[in-house]
Amino acid sequence: MKKRSLLWVLITLLALSLMVVGCGGGEQAATDGADTSADSGDTIKIGFLGAKTGGHADFGIKTLAGMQMAVDDINKAGGILGKQLEIVEEDHGSKLTEGANVVQKLIQRDKVVAIIGDPTTGITKLAAPIAEDNKIVLLSAGAVGDNVVNDEQGNLREFVYRNTLLDAVAAPSVVKYLKEELGWQRVALITSMNNDYSVGLSKIFKQALLDNGLEIVAEESVQDGDQNFSAQVTSIKPKNPDGIVFTGYYTEGGLLMKEVRKQGMDINMVGGDGMLGATLWEMGGEAVNGSMVYCGFEADPSMAEGKTKDFIDRYSEANNGELPNMFVAQGYDAVMMLADSITAANSVDPSVFKEEFKKLADWQGVSGTITIQDNHEPLKSPVYLLEVAEGDNGQQFKVKAAIPVK
Amino acid sequence: MLEQQLINGLTLGAVYALIALGYTMVYGIIQLINFAHGEIYMIGAFVGVSMVAVFGQGFLASMLLAMLVCMILGMTLERVAYRPLRRSTRLAALISAIGASTFLQNAMLLWKGPQPVGFPEVIKDAIYHIGPIEISKVQLIILATAAILMAVLNYIVKYVKIGKAMRAASQDYDTASLMGIDINKVISFTFAIGSALAAAGGVLVGMYFNSVAPLMGVTAGIKAFCAAVLGGIGSIPGAMLGGIFLGVAETLGIAVGFSTYRDAIAFTLLIIVLLFKPTGLLGKPIQRKV
Amino acid sequence: MDTLIASFIDPYYMQVLTLLGIYIIAALGLNLITGVTGQFSFGHAAFLAIGAYGAAILTVKFQIPFYVALLAGGLMAAFFGVVIGFPALRLTGDYLGIVTLGFGEIIRVVFLNLEITGGALGLAGIARNSSITVVYVLVVITIIIMYYLQSSRFGRALIAIREDEIAAETMGVNISVYKIKAFAIGCFFAGVAGGLYAHLLQYLNPTDFGFAKSFELLCFVVLGGLGSIPGVVLGTTILTMAPEFLRSMSDYRMMIYGALMVIMMIFRPHGLLGGINLHRMLFKNKYKIETNRGTTDEV
Repeated sequence: MKKRSLLWVLITLLALSLMVVGCGGGEQAATDGADTSADSGDTIKIGFLGAKTGGHADFGIKTLAGMQMAVDDINKAGGILGKQLEIVEEDHGSKLTEGANVVQKLIQRDKVVAIIGDPTTGITKLAAPIAEDNKIVLLSAGAVGDNVVNDEQGNLREFVYRNTLLDAVAAPSVVKYLKEELGWQRVALITSMNNDYSVGLSKIFKQALLDNGLEIVAEESVQDGDQNFSAQVTSIKPKNPDGIVFTGYYTEGGLLMKEVRKQGMDINMVGGDGMLGATLWEMGGEAVNGSMVYCGFEADPSMAEGKTKDFIDRYSEANNGELPNMFVAQGYDAVMMLADSITAANSVDPSVFKEEFKKLADWQGVSGTITIQDNHEPLKSPVYLLEVAEGDNGQQFKVKAAIPVK
Repeated sequence: MLEQQLINGLTLGAVYALIALGYTMVYGIIQLINFAHGEIYMIGAFVGVSMVAVFGQGFLASMLLAMLVCMILGMTLERVAYRPLRRSTRLAALISAIGASTFLQNAMLLWKGPQPVGFPEVIKDAIYHIGPIEISKVQLIILATAAILMAVLNYIVKYVKIGKAMRAASQDYDTASLMGIDINKVISFTFAIGSALAAAGGVLVGMYFNSVAPLMGVTAGIKAFCAAVLGGIGSIPGAMLGGIFLGVAETLGIAVGFSTYRDAIAFTLLIIVLLFKPTGLLGKPIQRKV
Repeated sequence: MDTLIASFIDPYYMQVLTLLGIYIIAALGLNLITGVTGQFSFGHAAFLAIGAYGAAILTVKFQIPFYVALLAGGLMAAFFGVVIGFPALRLTGDYLGIVTLGFGEIIRVVFLNLEITGGALGLAGIARNSSITVVYVLVVITIIIMYYLQSSRFGRALIAIREDEIAAETMGVNISVYKIKAFAIGCFFAGVAGGLYAHLLQYLNPTDFGFAKSFELLCFVVLGGLGSIPGVVLGTTILTMAPEFLRSMSDYRMMIYGALMVIMMIFRPHGLLGGINLHRMLFKNKYKIETNRGTTDEV
């Protein structure tokens, strides 16, 4: 008996000491050995909220690369308000609970003035009320769903903004184009049911298709992580649609088209920017040639000019010729928007410089022009419609049309 | 339409069956749910991809190598994470298995990155028409490979000495060891065979769906375990039956419009079967000893 | 009270500690089912989800007061606990485990498809009512209830079922009733924890309640020590804090976490505090007689 309680005491002590050491270690590591005091004077800290592991890692890593590039540019040019910018990186592993912990940590522990992220809608929704309560600016470079910059009751969130092309704006323009330029009449709509982005986009597309008088001949659902679409495609085949609208991500999109071709159907797919990535043809091979994706930014060195061209050239030079994708450009623009607002407000107090966000009109970023409307939603023009085609070095996205947004 | 969906379901079911065999054999001997089995299937798929993409090997060579690598991995896993726990509670071994699964998953994530990797075309796909049914060459290869592997397994278990030892061990672990059977060797061998089958399943899936990802083992593993329980855990023909049954049921479920409930189909079936037959379709009734 | 706590620790710690408290409540519920009664449950996250969604829908859509919603969420989970308790009467061991796992997945998929839960878009706009004080008051209440349950006649009957069902039955323990009661109570606490979880995160998504979360809860209980209340608290603390402390090694974080679980099980297969029970810790002088370790190879 004695022995056992002694053991218990020992274990408890061990656990406690672990906790204490852990806390200390955590604090040390949090800022990479930098000064932990709230006002370190010569740096302005921006938090990165995103995933470096788990399901959304690709978006997070790319957004961070764009942010890093912008921060380096600003720091080389002397910083803002005479201070250097610094990014505090954290990984939430695509998990909700960790997302909440990371937001709290960035705000409380690292004392950031603004958080850029998350590239996905779900975690942005989770972060928005926390940022609002703590009066810290949250600028999402990727969230496209509803109720991000306002809460469920429609009240505007004063501290939350985003800089992406919204699907509610883009999808109707694209559907119009499909009908008028490509002559689509009968459409099969496929949704990835466990993907919030896809479910939201399907709603928007459904409305746009109906408004433009197109017929939805089949509605099928898949799931993120599915590899087998034979059942769904077999069901669609007899209905003979002119094209497929798929609202999910590239992995499933590529595999879906492969199955479509395997079953001998000669139709193409249209989707949103969730399918924007080389993974689309890594998964789909030749089957995705002719598939279309719309987005708010596409690096096309032959078309780009000025600021955008410079950005594309510098990024690809630093990354062995890889072109920046939309997430890189949006991450870059997010930091630049933030820097411009802080400079204009001449203050690093979020309550002061957030006012400057509302004044952004026809702001020229590397991804296009951005206007923050009265309802806090960004208006971005144009919508790029891209098509997968064989290029000089394998498959690539080619700009099929730049559809102006009204 | 229906015949077509049946073929799709059969192909999927064959893969489930290959993975389920590993679960069922291990469980039959040491009553452990090897939760890292899904990760072995995933690693097998990755080895296959690397062989094809990096070393330009053919389908057969890639699959055999994947099987060999996973054999070694399975035996190592048993040695490191399960053998020390052989005399502990079943839950302790289960937690150890979950830990091993987390470890392997994240090691692969770190090494390969989160994005799925495309599987290069090893075999030029073609579609054959048999009456109203279309069947692709890849589907045929999957069904043939699965059938051959299961036949080989059946032969080993029935006629080869080590196979007989496996059966003896699953009947009565303690008596078998008293009869001079080297239990450690048998368990190692069981892990080796189960892992090799899972690796083959991984390569076939990679080829069929053309993608391999670090997290692919999670749902596949759970589903295959489901198939093993459905057939009656510990029973080899049961695992084959359960896998095919589940694959077909799931595909038909999607076909009639339950695709949003896809993941629930397998479990709903399982619960219904277990309520009527508590030990699965071909499982032996549990003896309650006083 | 919260302001007093806030003057000592920053809100980031409050967030992590509050979450820890919530997990302790859920894990203690699971401990009653798995640790004390010896019934496998691999779907505990489902009851967390039922409580979370139940309470959140009540407060968001029907403006029900928070505490009432918490209780209602717990009762909903308990109801489903009874539903799942019935197969427990027919099935044993791993078969029961797989059925509960299946139930968990079914619940997740159902929530993904329902209109009222917001489907894959999740449910947002939940008020942040779970303050650290509320959570820890409930943690203390849960511990006290569990302690009295385990040291009462009811608890002894549950332990008898764990040790030997047939023997328990011959001694006149009504196995069916006790098993279902254990499931109902254990799931009730998971439901309450779920309600707190919803009102802490303010956003729910069905993908958050997959089997990964169920296994996480199971790991808390087994690692701490099956059937041991202080063990469960300790196990939950270590495993909840580990990912936060391992942040500095962000890339290797989850690998280390996995390896840690294997190592701990090899060195302490009965859990850290297996066989140590709260009652004996408090009144150890009353019990001079060395009894069974409280965990057996049959679990």
